[in-house]
Amino acid sequence: MLQPEAVELVILAAAALAFAVAFSPPAASRRELLGKGGVGVVGAAAIAAVPTFEGTLLALLALGVLHSIIGGKRPLAVRLRGPVVAVTLLGLGAFFARVQGPEVMERFAAVGLVAGLAAGVGVLPYLHPIDPDEPLVSSPVVWLAFAGPVLAAVIVQRAQSLLPVDAAGAFGAMLIGLGLINVVWGGAAAWLTESEAVAWRYSFVADWGLVLCGLGLIVADGQRAAIVMLFSIVLGRLPLYLVALHAPHEKVVTGRPVNLVVAAALAGSAPFAGFAARLLLLRAATQLFWPLAIVLAAGMLLWLPGSLRLGRSLGLPKGRQAVGVALVLAVNVAAGLYPLPILLAAHL
Amino acid sequence: MVDAVAAFVAWLGASVVVLADGRRGLALGAAISVAGMAVVALDAAGPEAAASVALGGVVAAAGRLRSGRGGWHIMPAGSTPRLVLCIAAALLALWIAAALTTGPAAPLRFTAMVVIGLSGARVLGADEPPILFTAIGLLALAIALAAGIGQIAPTPWPFLAAAVIAGLAGWISPRTVAAA
Amino acid sequence: MPSAAVVAPVVLPILAAAVIAAFGIAGVSLGRTAAAAGAWSSAVALVAVWLPVRSSLELLLGQLGYGSALDLRVDGVSFAFGLMIVLPAAVLLTLQPRTWPEASISLLGVGAAMAAVEAGGVVLTAIAGGTAATVAVVLLETEDPAAPRPSWALLLAGWLALSLVGVILQVGGGTAVYSAVPVATVTAALFALLAASALLASCLLPWRMWPSKLWSRPSLRAAGISIATLYPLGFYLLVRAYELGDGHYPSPFFNVLLAVIGLATAFAAAGRAQAAATRREFFGEVIPGLGGFALAAVALGTPLGLVAGLVILATASAFVACLALLPDRAGLASMVTVAAAVGLPPSIAFGGRVLGIAATFEAGEFLGLVGLAGAAAWATWMVAGARAIGLPGGRGHPASETFPRVAMFIAAGTLLAGPAIAAFQLGFANPVAAEVMRSSAASLGGGPTSVITVSSVLPAVTLFAPLLVIALVAYSLSTTSAIKTQARLPLFKLPSFAAVDQARAALRSAAVPEQYRSILNVRELEAAAAGGGMVLWLVALVALAFAVTR
Repeated sequence: MLQPEAVELVILAAAALAFAVAFSPPAASRRELLGKGGVGVVGAAAIAAVPTFEGTLLALLALGVLHSIIGGKRPLAVRLRGPVVAVTLLGLGAFFARVQGPEVMERFAAVGLVAGLAAGVGVLPYLHPIDPDEPLVSSPVVWLAFAGPVLAAVIVQRAQSLLPVDAAGAFGAMLIGLGLINVVWGGAAAWLTESEAVAWRYSFVADWGLVLCGLGLIVADGQRAAIVMLFSIVLGRLPLYLVALHAPHEKVVTGRPVNLVVAAALAGSAPFAGFAARLLLLRAATQLFWPLAIVLAAGMLLWLPGSLRLGRSLGLPKGRQAVGVALVLAVNVAAGLYPLPILLAAHL
Repeated sequence: MVDAVAAFVAWLGASVVVLADGRRGLALGAAISVAGMAVVALDAAGPEAAASVALGGVVAAAGRLRSGRGGWHIMPAGSTPRLVLCIAAALLALWIAAALTTGPAAPLRFTAMVVIGLSGARVLGADEPPILFTAIGLLALAIALAAGIGQIAPTPWPFLAAAVIAGLAGWISPRTVAAA
Repeated sequence: MPSAAVVAPVVLPILAAAVIAAFGIAGVSLGRTAAAAGAWSSAVALVAVWLPVRSSLELLLGQLGYGSALDLRVDGVSFAFGLMIVLPAAVLLTLQPRTWPEASISLLGVGAAMAAVEAGGVVLTAIAGGTAATVAVVLLETEDPAAPRPSWALLLAGWLALSLVGVILQVGGGTAVYSAVPVATVTAALFALLAASALLASCLLPWRMWPSKLWSRPSLRAAGISIATLYPLGFYLLVRAYELGDGHYPSPFFNVLLAVIGLATAFAAAGRAQAAATRREFFGEVIPGLGGFALAAVALGTPLGLVAGLVILATASAFVACLALLPDRAGLASMVTVAAAVGLPPSIAFGGRVLGIAATFEAGEFLGLVGLAGAAAWATWMVAGARAIGLPGGRGHPASETFPRVAMFIAAGTLLAGPAIAAFQLGFANPVAAEVMRSSAASLGGGPTSVITVSSVLPAVTLFAPLLVIALVAYSLSTTSAIKTQARLPLFKLPSFAAVDQARAALRSAAVPEQYRSILNVRELEAAAAGGGMVLWLVALVALAFAVTR
């Protein structure tokens, strides 16, 4: 039985690939983008489609190896490290979940699954090292937004069926804890770090922090928040990142209206999809433990300074890219005002 | 008893992969470990699973002989920490599989845990593609083996998939990586 | 009137913005006509929806996905606040020349603000208000990135806080719809959060914030629209809070606290106004000053206080348009505007303040002191106004953006409207009180000529009309030739904020001492976290295991 959220995320990944192919400026790289990106979509679909947990791990391993050998600036060992550590930890997590033994084994299982998920996606404390000159297709930043969402949806759903109730609680609590760390660190680093490429990566990490919090809050609204946030990562932040990658470098950085609107979208301001996700997250946190909602609301302010900076990095999009940015913004406004179709498609 | 010996063989092979840097050493380690895992898989998941593991392992080991640093290079200078790792991993896995956890199939638990742990650690500590892909092949097979834990009649599909991954990973050469 | 009509005041400006943008991209600037059409059509639609029925008209569509249905409502409150938003914006969009992006963004802001006041529940208001805030920031940056603008973080904090209020209401009471929230859900803690978000949304604070700073921008095109769309929203929340609490705030303490904050805001604005170096600086304090008085009145918790607050807010709304069109030069327009701004009798601002002070005495206890202090603040405003007439004008604005006659017309209108305060209250403010204070609004009486309160009667026409005549005669007999433009000493010096500035500077320059930098180096920490080091990954794993198994 295919998991609806995962299917939706695969479709979103395909849409992001279509965007990249349609709106990326260097025409020569389109075929490569389509070929290698297509393999990525198929890999993500395989992660979602295989019926067992171990099958998912094997699909992840295969996708990780493929992603590592398609080239890039980083050493192969560094490229492989994230997916392999993820598979190792997830495998050990599943092992501890399946064996019969003392209760502490279940806790170890939860640790393995959470750490494996973080390593698989590439968020704190298992950040995949990046190289600012890395080609798009082998970039860990793109992995965060392309393969990561499907992986997270599948792993969390299957982990919850593997773990007993007590360990599932620990699993959720750890996800929330890691989520908060990613929110704070990602938000602050996206603002303060020197390199623009690194700032973009941290902005993804901060968004992932909210996703992890949503996944950890084991109520329907938490899952809803996570799916809307993932939507905004895949069809919001990722396409804008792709545009920023090819933006001409300006000597004098100025904020034009389009840069500010992009900054608002990246910061999760109303009426963009990020705001709807934040609303749902606050709802979920309020249902479980209201002080968490206060902490999350305070953390959400961290997006703004970094987003202003990232918004400026797009420069002034022209021609095809301007159309692409307008399309992304329109889609995000629509999803922000009316996220119900996204939730219904995921059966949430 | 056979399972226990097979589990020991699987650990031994994985340890050789951890301790070797040359293509022959890696191929030998992979072959030994796969032999042990195939026997464990036979008991846990049936002959199809065992055959898949064995076939995947053989293909991977054969592929490994094609590329990588020449010779054996087992336990080169400075490999003491790796040796300690192998022994410590074995002791820890044995304690967990035999003492801490309960139920039948302790060899299966030991094998899955120790091979997953050692191959994952090998990837973390290595730089050369032949070593990395050998460890990945073992990791894939061990993951499939772990699927059999706690299940009465495991399906052979994970083993088949793992065998395909292990076999293909064994044939990835540095030239393939560079050309991509 | 079909209920679908309630979307018109929101959708029409947004449609106009889309049309202007489409033509603009095609190289055709539709100019002021289209912008004016968009804004005025919204105003006309609002009046057309409200006036025939004069009761609540609601449109309820399906769920949106975050626990709220698309619920739009036009009632007395949304009508009053909608007019306060859209009328000044429409005047400015009609008169001031704008580029097509500015016109388009301005209309989006108007649409979002109208959606905020038409939203049926707290969550929708938060979304629409947050959108209006974002649009205002974009508009201000588009016009002049170097000029002062509101802190985006501050605005976002306000609207995020309101979102939190909305979701707490949804979770605790099952709904965040204003008219359906169970009263018990509105606890003191929740109200404190709501009040904080309202204060942040309009920046109702006793120091110099964006409602004052925006008037110092070189151009007042974006400033006028931004203040018109954003400033009323905080008050709107405080008024709706009465509806949430069935006519009351959860505790009288909040009435007192908010009234004191309002008074402090008004007094601080008066203090800055009487020390202003230019007339434009003085005018910059008019909106915060009126806002402070309005807050103090609205917070009293009585129908009369609410009505007084709304009258003052409506006056402030008129002044937004007036001040944005007023040139920085001496003359009749400036003088009339100063007179109207300080609440010279018998202006409507004067009437509003009289009602406000009367309301404090009727509310009794500590709030009576608020009334006395309010009178002192008003007196300070009078002195500030007298002084401002002779101050230098200011830096000046592009001539094409200023319309002294229209500005004077609006200011004179507020002066002449004083005798009509009873009619104004009857048609404009009473429906608001009836909506949010159902149990006590019946205490408001009177007709188009007089305001009847619990303890007294204010015969507005018979009292204010002769005053108006006297004022006109006095003006005709006086001469302005004696007024000399020059720098003038302030009545009193404002308390120095040097210590605050020093503390802020010290905080900004705070750094880890040299000898500890090797221990705490954030850059190295970041490099270690991002480096994918094996040791860090193992330590993280052990830490997680320790955390969940201890």
